[in-house]
Amino acid sequence: MWRFVINRFLLMIPTLLGVALIIFLLLRVIPGDVVEAKFMSGEGSGASAEVLAAERARLGLDKPVWEQFAIWMWGVVRLDFGISMWTGAPIGDEIALRFALSLQVALMATVIATLLALPLGVLAALKQDTWIDYAVRIFSIAGLAMPSFWLGILMILGFLIFFRWVPPMVYTPFWVDPWQNLVQLIWPALAVGYRYSAVATRMTRSSMLEVLREDYIRTARAKGLWLKLILVRHALKNAMLPVVTVIGLEFAFLLGGLVVTEQVFNLNGLGLLFVQAIARRDYTLTQALVLLVASAFIVVNFLMDIMYAWLDPRIRYR
Amino acid sequence: MTTTTDIAIVEAEAPERRRGWLDVVLDFCRRRPLGAIGAAIVVLMILVALTAPMIAPYDPLAIDFAAMLAPPGADHWLGTDAYGRDVLSRIIYGSQTALIVGFGAAFVGSTAGAVLGVGSAYFGGRVDLIVQRFMDIFISFPLIILALAMVAILGNTLPNLIIAMTAPMVPRCALVIRSSALSVREMPYVDAARAAGFSHARIILRHMLPNVMAPYLIMLTSFLGQAILLEASLSFLGLGVQEPTAAWGLMLRGAAVEFAETAPWMALFPGLAISLAVFAFNLFGDSLRDALDPKLRTG
Repeated sequence: MWRFVINRFLLMIPTLLGVALIIFLLLRVIPGDVVEAKFMSGEGSGASAEVLAAERARLGLDKPVWEQFAIWMWGVVRLDFGISMWTGAPIGDEIALRFALSLQVALMATVIATLLALPLGVLAALKQDTWIDYAVRIFSIAGLAMPSFWLGILMILGFLIFFRWVPPMVYTPFWVDPWQNLVQLIWPALAVGYRYSAVATRMTRSSMLEVLREDYIRTARAKGLWLKLILVRHALKNAMLPVVTVIGLEFAFLLGGLVVTEQVFNLNGLGLLFVQAIARRDYTLTQALVLLVASAFIVVNFLMDIMYAWLDPRIRYR
Repeated sequence: MTTTTDIAIVEAEAPERRRGWLDVVLDFCRRRPLGAIGAAIVVLMILVALTAPMIAPYDPLAIDFAAMLAPPGADHWLGTDAYGRDVLSRIIYGSQTALIVGFGAAFVGSTAGAVLGVGSAYFGGRVDLIVQRFMDIFISFPLIILALAMVAILGNTLPNLIIAMTAPMVPRCALVIRSSALSVREMPYVDAARAAGFSHARIILRHMLPNVMAPYLIMLTSFLGQAILLEASLSFLGLGVQEPTAAWGLMLRGAAVEFAETAPWMALFPGLAISLAVFAFNLFGDSLRDALDPKLRTG
């Protein structure tokens, strides 16, 4: 088991390194850099070439590309992501508050999705090919089909027309006013959570269907075990693994993938920061963000693999 | 109860004698009514896209300042937008964009994924390891950033958009196809082909690819809906199709949100079109997956 864990852990390193290298190179290939973005737009356009060169030198952009990469990587290893090229503030400060917001929305959406998906998925599997099953499937396929940002627009429109209520423009952190904070974030969480729950419902249903066909379920039934006990003890327990996997992967995806929904709800989360950072050619900030989102995904994947191997010894020896 | 009926269904799905395609279609409709409904909507959508110039009541690009933000009515069934363009006509023409991007991205993504997956399984060893690492990298890379970067580097054209959108599809498809191809590789006919001295390319393309058709088709159809959704999100962000082209995601952008209160039809109908299209593709894809391979789960 330990060998498997260590092997799997070591495999994360080349993946992260690859992500880092690709985003680093992509940013350098995109036309324009942070200095141009700063001086060429708005005031101060028409700065002389010397000023631009001095600014580039200050940010270390005049060094050879491989050296820039090495400097960045050396920082990353020591968990020092440097300062934002645009604002000059440490990356950690730039990201912290926004990350907290995105994390909270992702957590709330996960809770909503899980609470919806488990009962619906199990119900649909038990009543396969009845109207209940069809209703659940249509509900979940509709959830996959509706763009969450459109659902968000409809929600806001609904509040506006029926309650004359507009979501607040300013973000209230949880520790300042928990109630205000929850009222503000519940709607984006619902908009995203619906799609999320659809993914999880479908996985719960198909996983349950598969397990219900297994011999040990038939044995349990033949023994005359109480149906509820069979469901909880035997079926659900075995069907949960793939469900937990999709929930975990969707969660990791939500951390960085909320760009569009955030725009609709006027939230200042990681998604918006992403778009700003790349528009300003803020290399250090974009790199840190990509690395953050990718590591979330990679770590979740790693944990899932470990869990699988722990539960199913056959995987360890593959 | 459930278990016994399930077993009956599984048995009924065992391959039967060779049938004509009409029989297959009728059988599919009878056994999977939801899938048939999905397929019907897809066919309808393709017809609408093909006959757009004939059935659209207005030119989708025609600006009419006399009829700005007109509510749905006899002249404009679904109202007009902030430039007085007919929403219905733009939705009809938008189906062309959605289908081109959807089919384009899904086809390129799943085909590239299939070739990589089969190649990875066939060669095994170091090649497999390296390909898998690359797939890991692309799967964990945030999509929006990739799209932003691609558009900034390559320019904002439809083919570039399609390429950017295949980035998350290729690794997912490669993963699924690889696991099927691993068992195909052990088949005697692959050994025979190798013994006969055929080239690697020929064995992969002629002998292995056709035998992973089922998972390939399943991935392809599941990508169709996702691609349409993705295009809508990217266009909504201003990264996808550009004005004045008629595209559903684009129609939800800007004025549709600004004037949502006074002209809700601008936000309502394009969103409905997206949802209906993706809904139909998913419905069809699901049933196809159930029919082809009940064990494969694509989430």
